[in-house]
Amino acid sequence: MIENRPLSPHLSIHKKVLTSVFSIFHRITGIGLSVGSILITLWVTLLGLGPKYFFIFEFFSSTFLFKLVLFLWTIGIFYHLFNGVRYLFWTYGIGMELKTVYNSSYIVVILTIVSTCLIWLSAL
Amino acid sequence: MPDLVVSFMKNNYVLKWVLQRVTALFLIPLSFWFIYNCICFQNYNHQELQIFFSSFFNSFLFLFMMVSMLWHGKLGCETIVQDYVSNFSLRKISKNLINIITIIMLFLVFLAIIKLNIYS
Repeated sequence: MIENRPLSPHLSIHKKVLTSVFSIFHRITGIGLSVGSILITLWVTLLGLGPKYFFIFEFFSSTFLFKLVLFLWTIGIFYHLFNGVRYLFWTYGIGMELKTVYNSSYIVVILTIVSTCLIWLSAL
Repeated sequence: MPDLVVSFMKNNYVLKWVLQRVTALFLIPLSFWFIYNCICFQNYNHQELQIFFSSFFNSFLFLFMMVSMLWHGKLGCETIVQDYVSNFSLRKISKNLINIITIIMLFLVFLAIIKLNIYS
């Protein structure tokens, strides 16, 4: 690998088109979900440590902030999941025509909203 | 010989690209399984969760999901660091930090699952 190579992609230079916005959000949700995986690890660690330590999780899980983070995590995981499936198709060169790319973007948004709503409605 | 293996894994970007997609494939069904269980988890107390993880099937799926998730996350974060951090030393520190966090998280998940299975 060439060291000190130019940065790519140039976020502030390119005009924001739908494909680039989806790509940027895929990365943002990816970072968010990576942080989320740390929280899942802490959750299972507290569970493994026993009820005395699991109380810490139970205390935080009752707060509004926790519910908000969980809601954002649900949106993030569904968006990343559905958009990731689209990228997997692209890996095989499927669905790369401009019209299909735009249509699949809209499908990702719709599936994300519907799935998030279904999960939260069933949780209530 | 081990140095050769480490060097192969460290600089083989094709392998990393393939692993990123393989872990993504694993995560598609596993994420749905975990999200579905998360709905049930919110009504579970410690004992009920312990019963859930006492099942080998549930523990195995959770462990498999966490390994895939943490590895997928590590590879993704490394790519982001490579794309946006131009300073060589900062890039190296960031990548090392990602690796250390991933190893610690994997260690914690393994320990927790083993403990939950032994004491259940």
